[in-house]
Amino acid sequence: MTTLAKPFVEPHTPSRATTVLPTVADLPWLVGYALAFLAAHHIAAEWGGRGFYSLLYPAAGFRIALLWRRGPRLTLAIIVAEILVQIGTGVIDPRSAGWLTALIGVIRPPLVYGLIVLLVRTMADRAQTSMSVAPMPLGLASVGAPAAAALTALPWSLLRPNLTGVSGLRETVTSLTGFVVGDLLGVLLLAPPLLWVADLATGGTLRPGRPSMASVAEAVVILVASFAIEILLARIGLGTPHTPVLLAVAWIGLRFGRLASWLAIVVVAAMVLPQTAMPMDMGGRLALHMSLASIMVVGYLAGSFADAQARVRVDLERRDRLLFQAERLKTLRAMSVAVIHEISQPLSTLAIEAKHLHELTVSADVEIATTAALIDRKAAALSTLVRRLRRFGGRTVDVPTPLPLATLIDTVAALARPEAKSHGVTLSIDAVAPDLVILAQEVELAQAIVNLVRNAVQACGNGTVTLGVTRTNRGVELVVVNGSRSTRPEQPGMGVGTLVARAIVEAHGGTLSRVTDTAGNTRATIALPLVGEPE
Amino acid sequence: MTDTACGMVYVVDDDQDLGAAVARLLRRHGHVAEPFLDPAPLLEVYERAPAHCIVTDVMMGEIDGFDFADRVRLLDPAVAIIFMTAWPTTANAVDSVRRYGGLDYLEKPIDEDRLLAAITEGVAWSKAQRSALARTAGLTPRQRQVFDLLVKGHNNQAIAAALDISPKTVEDHRAAIVAKTGTNGIAQLIALAR
Repeated sequence: MTTLAKPFVEPHTPSRATTVLPTVADLPWLVGYALAFLAAHHIAAEWGGRGFYSLLYPAAGFRIALLWRRGPRLTLAIIVAEILVQIGTGVIDPRSAGWLTALIGVIRPPLVYGLIVLLVRTMADRAQTSMSVAPMPLGLASVGAPAAAALTALPWSLLRPNLTGVSGLRETVTSLTGFVVGDLLGVLLLAPPLLWVADLATGGTLRPGRPSMASVAEAVVILVASFAIEILLARIGLGTPHTPVLLAVAWIGLRFGRLASWLAIVVVAAMVLPQTAMPMDMGGRLALHMSLASIMVVGYLAGSFADAQARVRVDLERRDRLLFQAERLKTLRAMSVAVIHEISQPLSTLAIEAKHLHELTVSADVEIATTAALIDRKAAALSTLVRRLRRFGGRTVDVPTPLPLATLIDTVAALARPEAKSHGVTLSIDAVAPDLVILAQEVELAQAIVNLVRNAVQACGNGTVTLGVTRTNRGVELVVVNGSRSTRPEQPGMGVGTLVARAIVEAHGGTLSRVTDTAGNTRATIALPLVGEPE
Repeated sequence: MTDTACGMVYVVDDDQDLGAAVARLLRRHGHVAEPFLDPAPLLEVYERAPAHCIVTDVMMGEIDGFDFADRVRLLDPAVAIIFMTAWPTTANAVDSVRRYGGLDYLEKPIDEDRLLAAITEGVAWSKAQRSALARTAGLTPRQRQVFDLLVKGHNNQAIAAALDISPKTVEDHRAAIVAKTGTNGIAQLIALAR
């Protein structure tokens, strides 16, 4: 039953590069990316410097957002798009002698970004720690990709100093630092909001609730206070340490999540970046951008952490509710077993005596004979029901055994009919061919089907639920169909029945699927292998 | 129902009504049946009035059905035991037959036909056991030793060697055993020993 955990994991797009070629659906994204890249690349030139392109590189933000959203399989397409843009802008000039170097310089960053995104996603899929809880993987990729891209540039810079225009360790380190800081700023500034907007547009995420006035006031006060402290420290000649702002952004991220921390980061960036776009000395500019990068990293990680915590809390609450439900069911089961036991004692006596009475009165007065026969029949039926219920409710350690489907369906019918009747629903069950045999744990599988029938009965709108069995070329399919609901209110269920049914069916080597058609009819299909079928 | 298929049956259940109902049911089918509320008094009187078959509940007060089966087996190896229970488990079902020599394990509410079939089978088995025991009861200790080795398939020489007596003496014992048990040949002797 360990498979129970499966449905709790949110489905996400496949992380493995199934194909490196973009699909038609990718094309608008790629065209948009090329345009955004062109614009962002030009804006970045304002913060340019010797040995690196820019201290603020928003194009990297678009790049990681696209890779994250559409998958690392687009790496090749992104590289092609960037090459085309750079040929168009003349960065790569096929007629010049240095075209190959320029080409490699253009290819390297998107290639490394793609690899890092692939690595992080693969890791997150396998990890079971907090690192695999969204949005931690994105945070990791956002910081890891720029760092890795700069590191891969290191051997290039050391081996071919004449090409990058820097020489000596000091200048190389300066150039790489500029590279990392520029990419980091671009990624942290743009990737989170871009992804968030894309999620919002496709309905993948909930619109954030309106923040309370108190939260907004708290965030504003903290941010303003941190700026005030910095200005004060600068005025009295203590330099410009950025720790107050850093702590303020971290606070805001931890308290209010990723969106709030991003807004705080935008405010900080809006105050810093116009200053550094003006002519100022390289050391001061780099220091400011590095501080900005650390503020962003800390703020973003704090926000991500708070969001991840919030998600885990929601998950935990959901599981707590499930556990509570399970605990109640356990008590209920113990109670029913006790009740069944208490009933079975007197019922034994009743059935024996009723049968005797029936036999005695066969030749008596018709009235008496009929009454005795009726009592006997009812007592016998009740005995059968009690035996069946006990088999169902008792603790069973039975191994799967070959089981005729007809028997299974009989059990299900006996268990589900009373409830269907009390809901005013007719349970229509097709005749089952006697030669269909499956390998099953009868009690568990009956539970799975009863759960589906129960769901169907509760959701039923037209008064009929049908349970049919059809043989397929791969085994057998049990189909539960109910009509649409028009007037009935939504039942306060939690979907536990379906989860349990799916876990049981999968443990039997089968699959469970549910489809609701346009007319509102729901079909739940259990596909199971038959005994003795060739694999 | 013929007389040979009917026998003496004790019904043990801590539910008085059920015990009485089962006993009456059995009487209607020709058996001599007696209900008991508690196994302890039955164990006291059992040696004076042994039965062919005992139908017992598993979950009872001080002595449970399995414990009771062990004790009654010591008194009488030729009684058939049938268990019935309102708390059936797979483990108990297996134990009741394999460890406690039960003939059947019935779930309450009782399936009447199955109970009657089991009782008939138990009575027949018990009667066969008793007659076999009766026929070998007259053997002397030495004849009993020879009998035990014979039914295991040993020949006269082997038996003589094993018991440290002469083959001629073994031959004499054999003649006495055949005479006392009224059997004809080794095959019938082996059937008695089962």
